[in-house]
Amino acid sequence: MTKLTKSLKLSLVAAGLFSATASAASVAIVNATLHTSTKQGVLEGASVVIEDGKIVAINPASIDADTTIDAKGQIVTAGFIGTMNQLGLVEVGAVAGSRDGGDDKAGIDFDPSLAFNPRSSLIPYARKGGITQDVIVPNGGDSIFAGLASVVDLSGSFESVNKKQVALVVHLGEKSKGSRAMSMKTLIDKLEGEKSAKKDDKKEPSTEQKVLAAVLSGDMPLIASVQRASDIYELVKLKEAYGINLVIHGADDAVVVADALAKADVPVIISSMANLPGSFDSLHANLANAGKLEKAGVKVIIGVAGDSSHNVYQLRFDAGNAVSYGMSQQGALSAVTSNIADVFGLNSGAIAKGKRANLVMWSADPFELNSHVSKMWINGEEVSTEARQDKLRDRYTTDSAMPRAYTK
Amino acid sequence: MQKFAPSLLVMALGVALAGCQDNGPQDPKVSINKNPYPSTYQPLASQSTLITNATVLTGTGERLDDADVFFVDGKVQQVGKDLAVQADKTIDAQGKWVTPGIIDVHSHLGAYPTPSVASHQDGNEMTSPVTAEVWVEHSVWPQDPGFNRAREGGITSLQILPGSANLIGGRGVTLKNIPSHTMQGMKFPEAPYGLKMACGENPKRVYGRKGVLPSTRMGNMAGYRTAWIDATEYKREWDKYESDYAAGKNPAAPHRDIKLDTLAGVLEGDILIHNHCYKAEEMAMMIDLGKEFGYHSGTFHHGVEAYKIADLLAQNGNCAALWPDWWGFKMEAYDMVQENVAIVDAVKNSCAVVHSDSDTTIQRLNQEAGKVMYRANDVGYDISEQHAIKWITSNAAKSLGIDDKTGSLEAGKQADVVIWNQNPFSVYAKAEQVFIDGAKVYDRNDDKYQAQSDFMLGQK
Repeated sequence: MTKLTKSLKLSLVAAGLFSATASAASVAIVNATLHTSTKQGVLEGASVVIEDGKIVAINPASIDADTTIDAKGQIVTAGFIGTMNQLGLVEVGAVAGSRDGGDDKAGIDFDPSLAFNPRSSLIPYARKGGITQDVIVPNGGDSIFAGLASVVDLSGSFESVNKKQVALVVHLGEKSKGSRAMSMKTLIDKLEGEKSAKKDDKKEPSTEQKVLAAVLSGDMPLIASVQRASDIYELVKLKEAYGINLVIHGADDAVVVADALAKADVPVIISSMANLPGSFDSLHANLANAGKLEKAGVKVIIGVAGDSSHNVYQLRFDAGNAVSYGMSQQGALSAVTSNIADVFGLNSGAIAKGKRANLVMWSADPFELNSHVSKMWINGEEVSTEARQDKLRDRYTTDSAMPRAYTK
Repeated sequence: MQKFAPSLLVMALGVALAGCQDNGPQDPKVSINKNPYPSTYQPLASQSTLITNATVLTGTGERLDDADVFFVDGKVQQVGKDLAVQADKTIDAQGKWVTPGIIDVHSHLGAYPTPSVASHQDGNEMTSPVTAEVWVEHSVWPQDPGFNRAREGGITSLQILPGSANLIGGRGVTLKNIPSHTMQGMKFPEAPYGLKMACGENPKRVYGRKGVLPSTRMGNMAGYRTAWIDATEYKREWDKYESDYAAGKNPAAPHRDIKLDTLAGVLEGDILIHNHCYKAEEMAMMIDLGKEFGYHSGTFHHGVEAYKIADLLAQNGNCAALWPDWWGFKMEAYDMVQENVAIVDAVKNSCAVVHSDSDTTIQRLNQEAGKVMYRANDVGYDISEQHAIKWITSNAAKSLGIDDKTGSLEAGKQADVVIWNQNPFSVYAKAEQVFIDGAKVYDRNDDKYQAQSDFMLGQK
């Protein structure tokens, strides 16, 4: 309970700061093709009005806004949401001093959002892919527990950590040394230990205890990174035994136990591009898996595989490939917007009244290679998609009599 | 003293022999078998095939709408409209696109296969900074499931390279992407060998940790130069042997060194350089290094900063094999621009190639090329599909020295052909049928033509 009060306070503080920085001016986007990520589906020739960082109206009878933007039929979606990466926690992968996503001593209470850098060069680049928010996760250390995930937006603001400690990440499955059974036992022991612990009201619980309590109460999702079907199945049983809010990440073999996942209402975060048997845990990786899981009734989130911190901008292409191999367009859009918002309790990821105004206007089909972001808004503010990469390109493609270093 | 007598005798005899070797009757000439692991590749049985009504990107820069492609006996015979030919098989490709087979100049399939368990890590001989003696073809596991996945993406030829831990990592090999249970069964007949070199962070990191040269970029350069000096000496010894023998003398053949065989093969122009090199200043130095020792510096792979020296690359005849968007994983990959390939390509006499270095993106080189085309066009370039396809077909073939055989749909070329269900530069595009030397090797709608690796058989 203490923890809940605390995070409530935190979010109130964040909200206060947020409304102070957001523009009070209202913007109407008219004549848009709205892909809402809600049951409303696609609304043609539609308008959306944003004010104070929120969506305040969709298709109002009359438009009354400070600024009106004619979308000229272009597609507008909710901002895409990245997951399972270290955006703002790493600058260059191989430069140790620029990495803050892990620590040998990381465990249940490791919260890397304390190190989040909203001015990382990765962030404007990610915006080029229509990413407006991201679930950053620790990559952990020696423990099976990597630590705590947080949600950030890509505004570049120093107040862009939207929500801290939204999930606990645990790494299970194959181990280079020892048995995966020991990892499962460690997880069970921790849950069991917290469950049976005598509560001492006088003593403030440790962060670890608070996290475990939140996991046990179902308030905090447990993201288990795991691939093999048998491991996923064990975890589904664990969910039933402890009532935890389980999310499976990786899940190359999830399709084998798709029905069990659907029945137990377990969302999966998968790469739609994984189709090689990277290990004996991943023998069923297949481009069709995202679509098959969708059809089985599993809530699917698409994440970028590999270095998804630098490559999260590719998320839209991964969604397109998922569609190409059998996922529905709507399902793929939800997989990069509303499903993530649902799982992490975010008031975003959809175009609906009252939602955070994270919106992207696209020159064409957002999943296609030939489209690009025309305009985007984060918390109701229009943001640039110019990145360092564009400055470099311009420097080397602009004629000058002086050395390139003088072209800025 | 007595103990030494016999060896003294041998020495004396040796001197005497050496003396008469120069003029006496010639011993059989020592020659090196340059192809001891020859290709046994045989094209699969094929029918004469006519593909009709397709949008054809020829790989030579041309686009033909509503056109036909005809191949016989494994060779392209005609490409054009309304071909009046008799074919065993006609495929109506209305609404579909046809391209040459896709070529990846940078792959580690088979050498770093999946499953990527420790016992499969056969791509980097990380025991010495110069391992020109290793040939990656000796590491290729033909059952790597990745070959089949790549074929489904239209890959018909690919170069397997050793990894980038070493200054000079060893020989690469070009393969036809055909299922086989031996490496030789995949080996592209008459393709030149490649030699993998690597600049920058990798060699200095790997050997710097061991406390041996190189631990710096200047150490890298010193290491290459030392190796090429050895190779120059070695080549001189063999050249002298050849000329003395030709002059009727009976010279002793130099002691054979398989490391220097490969480097001398580069100096002779038989083996092409494939140089992992990211940064502008390092590529410029590698060009000068080639000039110092009299070889061509070949293709730069991964050149994330190639756009900074696009003119230099074109002037010197270097291909640049590049990613559309990989970046940030190390310092030398920090200055990525999404238009890199297009900027390199825009210079006259350039040779821009899109490569993968990945067992996943090799399955989508069409999309990788598409990303570059569209990002560049967004900022004012005017790159067409018929041009962009060259980055993954004819330019790639040129980089590998096989452009006289494959990489374009022209009469006489090997019939390596892909039928796409739509414009291949769409995220929704899929290769439907793939032909290698005129034989169908993949059909998305017919599991008879969907190869499966031994490893995947019976996995549940």
